[in-house]
Amino acid sequence: MPAGPHDRGERLLGVAAAIAAAANGEHPVEDLCRACAQILSVAGASVVVMSGGVRGLGGSSDPVSARIEELQETLGEGPSVDAHQTGHAVSEPDLATPRRPRWAAFAPAALAAGAGALFSVPLRIGGVRLGALTLYRPMPGELSAGQHLNAQALANMVANIILSMQAEASAGSLSPDLDGLVGHRSEVHQASGMVSVQLGVGVGEALVRLRAHAYATDRPLAEVAADVVARRLRFDE
Amino acid sequence: MTREQRIASTFVELADSLVDDFDVVDLMVLLTERCVELLDVSSAGLLLADPVGRLNLMAATDEAVETVALFQIQRDEGPCRDCFHSGLRESTTDLAAAGARWPLFAPVAARAGLRAVHAIPMRLRGVVLGSLGLFRIQPVPLEPSELATAQALADVASIAILSSRGIRDAHVLADQLESTLNSRIAVEQAKGIVAEHLGCGMDEAFGRLRLYARANQTGVTIVAQALVDGSLSTDELRAR
Repeated sequence: MPAGPHDRGERLLGVAAAIAAAANGEHPVEDLCRACAQILSVAGASVVVMSGGVRGLGGSSDPVSARIEELQETLGEGPSVDAHQTGHAVSEPDLATPRRPRWAAFAPAALAAGAGALFSVPLRIGGVRLGALTLYRPMPGELSAGQHLNAQALANMVANIILSMQAEASAGSLSPDLDGLVGHRSEVHQASGMVSVQLGVGVGEALVRLRAHAYATDRPLAEVAADVVARRLRFDE
Repeated sequence: MTREQRIASTFVELADSLVDDFDVVDLMVLLTERCVELLDVSSAGLLLADPVGRLNLMAATDEAVETVALFQIQRDEGPCRDCFHSGLRESTTDLAAAGARWPLFAPVAARAGLRAVHAIPMRLRGVVLGSLGLFRIQPVPLEPSELATAQALADVASIAILSSRGIRDAHVLADQLESTLNSRIAVEQAKGIVAEHLGCGMDEAFGRLRLYARANQTGVTIVAQALVDGSLSTDELRAR
């Protein structure tokens, strides 16, 4: 049965209520990811806020989306990275047989994690780029033009809501809601500092070495970082 | 259309405005007009604060509400003004008997023929943007379900208003967020550098950073950044 205007009304009623509830709730970023996934009819969504080239914080609607971000963090490539860096939407409707090959390390890993199609839009306000909103589908399939437009509009809203969360914080500190989303990334930065001393290189190079190790041993970057911080793993041996 | 269908279609209009280019003033006019149609109130008005916290009248469905809204701004008294300052809903069933509470406002409202009032906060995450005033000419309050609908409509409109405002404050806020994240990252990296050099834990490493910063009358972030970019040696921290 085709969806009539009333069904659309009912659906958007739910959508509007979900956005308002998510934005005012206890876990706004995760809840907004869920609302975005629901609105855009995709399986999952994730948000990442970047600081320079480094991941500052993030949230996701579901375990697959979380894994997609984790893989990009470990491998340093993927749709969120590209959308943030270029400021343009990134669309890969068929990750298994892409029109032009990209993300040599990330693509097979994301496929294995359950992503068939990936879409990222930059989180931006005016000329400022904060990060990216990334959507996944388990099977290949393009988003409609309307879905693309709505994805960018929702990303703008998410960016606004994140900024309004930060507006509540005192100068120099993250708002408590955002602070909770930094998560394991603290350990990644600590490990970068430790490895930089072990190898006598800068922290940027140290992060590259940590990532390479994670990739080579097929483990999440966060796990490798935790081993370094706990002194179970050194890079100068 | 049933009442539920009309409420749903209003959410559609508001939700559409969230995901398309829209005019904020149009949105506020739409919100007040729909409140009058859907909630059986006689008039509705919307007051929004400017960046320095002064209320401005943004939309009014008739002259009566325009008069009482402007009066609240000029005299700094009344339910919408109170709602904006407290962030809480303000309700009075009979303004003719509310002289004790609002000695200036109550008689003006009664002369304008308005009896019951509900002032609904326009808010997002604890930030109050303004207030939505719903008035009736009879001393009959809104039902709880009607108030819930009004608040949900106001919440969605608030996000849309904030999104449009975002453009204005975005650069400042985004810079703040980025520099805060940057300092946070630099401090964590510096903790790692110190911990590795001195063979200590992260808490002690942070303690060293703080001690050094205090002794040199500077901030932890500045010390951390100097360690990370190599302009400060960890030996300096050891010396203390």
